[in-house]
Amino acid sequence: MWTISDKGEREFTGGKEDWAAAAHIAEECPGFKDDDEDEMVADEAVSCYNCRYRRWTVKSFVCCK
Amino acid sequence: MRILVSIDDTDTMKMDGIEVRGTGELAGLIKKAIEEQGWGRCAPITRHQLLIHPDIPYTSHNSSMCFEADIENSFLKPLIDFASDFLTNESAPDSDPGLCVAVTDRISRPGWLISFGYMAKNYVLTKQEAYDLAEMLGVHLSEHGGTGQGVIGALAGAGLRFSGNDGRFKGKLKIKAENDIISVGDIRSLGKVDMVKCLEEGIILQDNDMIILGDHIKPVWLYGKSVLLVSAIDEEVNGRPRWQTYSKNQMKDF
Repeated sequence: MWTISDKGEREFTGGKEDWAAAAHIAEECPGFKDDDEDEMVADEAVSCYNCRYRRWTVKSFVCCK
Repeated sequence: MRILVSIDDTDTMKMDGIEVRGTGELAGLIKKAIEEQGWGRCAPITRHQLLIHPDIPYTSHNSSMCFEADIENSFLKPLIDFASDFLTNESAPDSDPGLCVAVTDRISRPGWLISFGYMAKNYVLTKQEAYDLAEMLGVHLSEHGGTGQGVIGALAGAGLRFSGNDGRFKGKLKIKAENDIISVGDIRSLGKVDMVKCLEEGIILQDNDMIILGDHIKPVWLYGKSVLLVSAIDEEVNGRPRWQTYSKNQMKDF
């Protein structure tokens, strides 16, 4: 589910709308922490898309944890 | 006078054990201070999404926050001084905060400010371009730490708010209704929503239309109004309303 960028960052391969995978990964992730409410985009409360350690990229996001 | 107050890039990635206040929270504190000082009355804050691009050093999502305020002329300078000091002192250490304060009736070319906002959603812009335009338009633009790169987003945020057609409101509305069903008229009477609309069908709902409230009730800034978006439910079943408020997924593009 991840690729490693030239900068060594882990980028999610599911893009910005793989809601199920992003939720599944976050549920298993001990580092998940919810972001500000204004920055949440997933209906699933626990999702990488709602995590304060995700940084959006052009196609997806990188995990900064 | 009516002013726009816009800030950007005040935060940093939150790391273990360190809580950092986001740009929205700082905008909220500036807004609160304006009202507590008796300088004027403020409108709700909107969040404006800007371009995500490798050449832009945003923290995590590259958005700016803006609100309108009606103030007495004499409070303009104290307000700018306060907001400037506040951002310098309260922004995250590694952030690059920017502040824009624009007096709407004094903006010499309103369309240029709006265009800059939309440009910032689609192109990589420079600080110099932001400063040049701010000077030309006669709006306050200042940086308060780091690289000061946030001036681009701050100016863009003001333009996008001024456009009347971009962004979503900070926070979510808490509306209590039996079975989470409420009329459009009752929602509008609460004073936080001007219009309820279904974009897919191009329909503005009437006061007697009933809607189902989801758990994420957040208006967007469209047509210079606070607009609550709803989507149509396939069939009207057992008298259930035909409309439901947008979910977070549906809101993400605003």
